[in-house]
Amino acid sequence: MILSFPSPEFDDAVAAVCHGSATQETMCALNVLLRRDSIARDEYLMRIELHARLASEPDLFFHSANEVEGAPAFHFEAAKRPRKLGRALALAACFALLATGLRGWWFSRLAARQGATSSAVAMLARAVDARWGQNTPQPTVGTALEPGRLRLESGLAQVVFYSGARVVMEGPAELQLISSMEAVCHAGRLLAEVPPPARGFRLKTAQLNLVDLGTVFGVDATDRQTELHVFKGKVQFFSGTAARRSMSEGQAAVVDGSTPPRFRAASEAAFSPLFELEKLSSAAESVRYDQWRLWSARLNQDPSLVVHLDLQNLGDSDWTLRNASEKSRSVLEATVVGCQRAEGRWPEKQALEFQSVNDRVRLAVPGEFDSLTLSGWVRVQGLDRQFNSLFMCDGFEPGTVHWLIRNDGVLSLTVKGPEQQFQIMASPPVLTLDKFGMWTHLAVVLDGKSRRLIHYVNGCPVAHSMLKLGPPYRFGSAELGNWNALSGPDPAPSLIRNLSGSLDEFELFSRALSEAEVYKLYTEGKPEPGR
Amino acid sequence: MSEDLTGRLDDSSAAQQRFLSLFLRSEREIFRYVAVLVPNVTDAEDIVQQTALALWEKFDAYDPSQPFTPWACRFALNKARQWIERRQRWQALLDHGLAEELAQRRQELQPEFELRLKRLDGCLGKLPQVQRALVQGYYFERLGVEILAERLGRTPAATYKSLQRIRHALQHCLEGRMKPEAP
Repeated sequence: MILSFPSPEFDDAVAAVCHGSATQETMCALNVLLRRDSIARDEYLMRIELHARLASEPDLFFHSANEVEGAPAFHFEAAKRPRKLGRALALAACFALLATGLRGWWFSRLAARQGATSSAVAMLARAVDARWGQNTPQPTVGTALEPGRLRLESGLAQVVFYSGARVVMEGPAELQLISSMEAVCHAGRLLAEVPPPARGFRLKTAQLNLVDLGTVFGVDATDRQTELHVFKGKVQFFSGTAARRSMSEGQAAVVDGSTPPRFRAASEAAFSPLFELEKLSSAAESVRYDQWRLWSARLNQDPSLVVHLDLQNLGDSDWTLRNASEKSRSVLEATVVGCQRAEGRWPEKQALEFQSVNDRVRLAVPGEFDSLTLSGWVRVQGLDRQFNSLFMCDGFEPGTVHWLIRNDGVLSLTVKGPEQQFQIMASPPVLTLDKFGMWTHLAVVLDGKSRRLIHYVNGCPVAHSMLKLGPPYRFGSAELGNWNALSGPDPAPSLIRNLSGSLDEFELFSRALSEAEVYKLYTEGKPEPGR
Repeated sequence: MSEDLTGRLDDSSAAQQRFLSLFLRSEREIFRYVAVLVPNVTDAEDIVQQTALALWEKFDAYDPSQPFTPWACRFALNKARQWIERRQRWQALLDHGLAEELAQRRQELQPEFELRLKRLDGCLGKLPQVQRALVQGYYFERLGVEILAERLGRTPAATYKSLQRIRHALQHCLEGRMKPEAP
């Protein structure tokens, strides 16, 4: 191998050396060239210098935090601007809707919308006796948080970043959210837990910048000094002009910025109330629940999500379910008839239980669709009826669909065509006894364009069919967990199709989700962690 | 980077504090000195850490009237040599006196480099968001290329290529030749 300069081969060789992936042959060739050609050697040195500079000057990457500190007021305004615009649009839409008598609905949506704007970087997951500072945001549990400052006067609050990093703070404390991977602790005590996906999470105080390498650590910051305690894993930090240094489990450092850090043993006692909340929330179920809430907030921004019943925050007397989809204007809410409140996939999450022939959730979905995806988390107790409804349109109107489970465990989707035509697309028996009593994700995708239908169980396709009846498909009035046969009183037994089991989430998309997307619905929603 | 060091220096006597203070101030420069010979970041950091331990052992011999960084760099050169001796690949790169030549020439070019690198902050700021995030992930967060590739939905090889292109764009920007715009 012979290298010349300048050449693409030279560029690749230098890059491979930087990345540590160059072969011996490449290195040999580079050695020959660099000894012979002084221009190539200078160019090589310049490239290495740039590479080394990027690797050794963390300040280069703390731009955003520094900017914010320099001009907090300006940044805060800048961060808020998109929301103002969003509000203006929402208000304009609201005035347009006043005429149609939907005012109450819009105002309630507007309130709910406060949280879920797309510039949010975190969520307030939990709070204990939290009192927030005057003239600062007053978030409630479940609120999505945008970049900006949170001032907690007293009590405890837990912020879960969209990256997965979880921070418990104890008032008085001031935390500034920069991004889903970065925050500034201006003052106060906090405890951070950083799971592998959030590796690289950065926290800044007046005296130090730290990068988390997958840990639990505590910070106690004042304007004079920062105490850093590492309880699990590893943290890197740097202060002043010093290079980065690592700290491991059990170590603590006191940093005042002007003298070298003083090291001592980490103390859990100083952070005990924070640990209590962290422990409560780091139970595996709670972590999964939080992850689902974060995912759910983002899913609600999908423009193709027509209906999302997340069954969150149900009151005992609530008989309407808010459609959580942020982009859908066509379906406002669903109505609960009967049904018991039950525990959902996680202890903190609710679900609806269907038992009697009266139990049902009614909703009206206007419009026509070329493709569709239906998805839900159900816990089947038994398959008592010949047909057990998942989601069924009233009666037998042309273009409507019936999604159900047969008593032999077969998933079935019926598309009704014009006149007497219809097509039943069934899976093999998949809801077998071993799945009873377990939370199971069911989905069905109708792709009107390619005329294909796929049934899914727990994210995996279980049956493919060709669709003979093409779009448009429609719903009109429909029911979850039951069926209104429109047959008048005393229906025949085959027309009684109530579900025996619980429902914890339901989605309707106006497009055909890909296999990967359905799998994602399953993995993000499954009760236990892991794949 | 200096984890063992931290452990060793737990109860900090005055000498240790003095050493740490000096070392931490020079550490970035020592790293860049080593990187001229062994540019791969994790390997260079290993060498710097070994250098730190050697420096501490010989700290008694340090003359405070002399600047610390050049003294430390001599140790770093030794440590780098020992490290390279055990690795054939790197020997092939630095053989026949190239190591010394590179170290020497870098010193000569230093003022020019400093001048150019002044713009690095600004050039980084001009990078498109995705590219900036990639550079930050690789150099600052020290994420593996596999993780970065997964984030971007690319192969690791394509991610390495992107990093190469971004550095190329940054270099153009540093030289004032054009805006940073990686293809």
